[in-house]
Amino acid sequence: MSIKKSNTIKSYEITSESIYLERRKLIKSMSVASAMLPWGMTLSQSTKDDSYIPTYKRNSIYSTSEPKNSFEDITTYNNFYEFGMGKSDPYQNSANFEPAPWNVKISGEANKTGIYNIDDLIDSNALEERIYRLRCVEAWSMVIPWIGIPLGNIIKKLEPNSKAKYVAFETVYRPSEMPGQRKRILNWPYIEALTMAEAMNPLTLIAVGLYGQDLLNQSGAPMRLVVPWKYGFKSIKSINKIHFQESQPKTSWNIAASNEYGFYANVNPEVDHPRWSQSRERRIGNGFFGAKQPTLMFNGYQDEVAQLYQGMNLRKYF
Amino acid sequence: MVKLFTLISLTPFIILSLKGFGILPIFGFFSDLGANPIETIIHATGKWGIRILMITLLIAPIGYYTQHELCKKLPKPLGLVSLFYILSHFLSYALIDQGGDIKIIIVDIIETPYLIVGWAGFLCLLSVGLISFKKLQPWFNKNRSTISGIIYTAAVLGVWHYYWQTKVIELEPVLLAILMILLTGWKFKTSKNKS
Repeated sequence: MSIKKSNTIKSYEITSESIYLERRKLIKSMSVASAMLPWGMTLSQSTKDDSYIPTYKRNSIYSTSEPKNSFEDITTYNNFYEFGMGKSDPYQNSANFEPAPWNVKISGEANKTGIYNIDDLIDSNALEERIYRLRCVEAWSMVIPWIGIPLGNIIKKLEPNSKAKYVAFETVYRPSEMPGQRKRILNWPYIEALTMAEAMNPLTLIAVGLYGQDLLNQSGAPMRLVVPWKYGFKSIKSINKIHFQESQPKTSWNIAASNEYGFYANVNPEVDHPRWSQSRERRIGNGFFGAKQPTLMFNGYQDEVAQLYQGMNLRKYF
Repeated sequence: MVKLFTLISLTPFIILSLKGFGILPIFGFFSDLGANPIETIIHATGKWGIRILMITLLIAPIGYYTQHELCKKLPKPLGLVSLFYILSHFLSYALIDQGGDIKIIIVDIIETPYLIVGWAGFLCLLSVGLISFKKLQPWFNKNRSTISGIIYTAAVLGVWHYYWQTKVIELEPVLLAILMILLTGWKFKTSKNKS
């Protein structure tokens, strides 16, 4: 999946000569600079804001004006147990992962099942940027500019039938490329699921990039789910299977500890994790002495999703 | 020799401080405290506190079998280093992570079971630290078995606190728990022999 790829070249995408020459100069100077760097720095990181060809548009309805986390924070601090349990393990241990070529198996209660190439599933002309809050079940949070398309658009193409009440996702199982999968940390492969109503909600995104570039391996390349009103573990990464079914799927964290991680896992400051409070969160990047901030109901997406859970006991269905 | 061991046990703290001030003479990823610096500090001081406390407790059986002179001198300084780490662990949680707000800290400790356990262990260790001053030496020597009981309680609570806050079963707290069971068993065995 390449974000920059576009079938039709729009006029504003054609680079003028002056910019083109300027860019060459920049690249040249960067390669000199990078040769002088000690180690651990890569060129791709220094070009992360290189988004002068906008093949995606910002969706301002589904964005926030809160300050975004830096690219470095987002890509060096996260949970992705397939690469290890430490927060920097995904960054350090994901170099051998091969996100291309990528196929996704669609199965279950839908008319258009089968094996799809990622490019057939995701229309690269329809990509949009959405700046979402992400709230981890461990009580830290970030603000991330994702690039992706609504999951609903993909699901409509696959024509699920009337028996499809839930949609389940699976992370690719490749122990040779994902060292965490060689240990029995969780019941591999990782499985997550949503109700159809949750999956079709306009907020639910399949992301293929962030900060204007393809997802890095540690962030769930080449495609991942982003469900901003639920705890981060619901937003499954590196998806290679999507299954439509009638019964509620068994999900990984729920299997690991059903009293701690429910199927819904909606962000809720009122319902604490059995071992810690969920009423406040640490916003990463707020500085060393930055105070914790109150956690918002549905992570602040109440207007968009509260109707999904009307009349439901959120203490029971946590 | 005692000074050397004390210095070694303080090395993780020195490295952490250098990272905090951004002056560790290594380039690349590990030169700072990462995206969540306060978490890095809380985790590192907590882990090193319990590790050094376990080493302190291990000195007794080693000394019992080897009769090495050093084993009589090391427990006190190492125990104090452990207390120093745990004190930093608690203070960085209370003053930085929770912003020093007593009300918030109390609510957080009540709401978080593993914090109650950790807090209890910290109080045990702190009380022993406070009575280890030179002036209280005769009293300290008289009540050695009570004091070692308190230290063992602190270690059990510390390992429990570590184990309880992990999301999935992790290797280190499990190993520490096994070591703790062995140490407690040995302690009971040897104290029975004496009486």
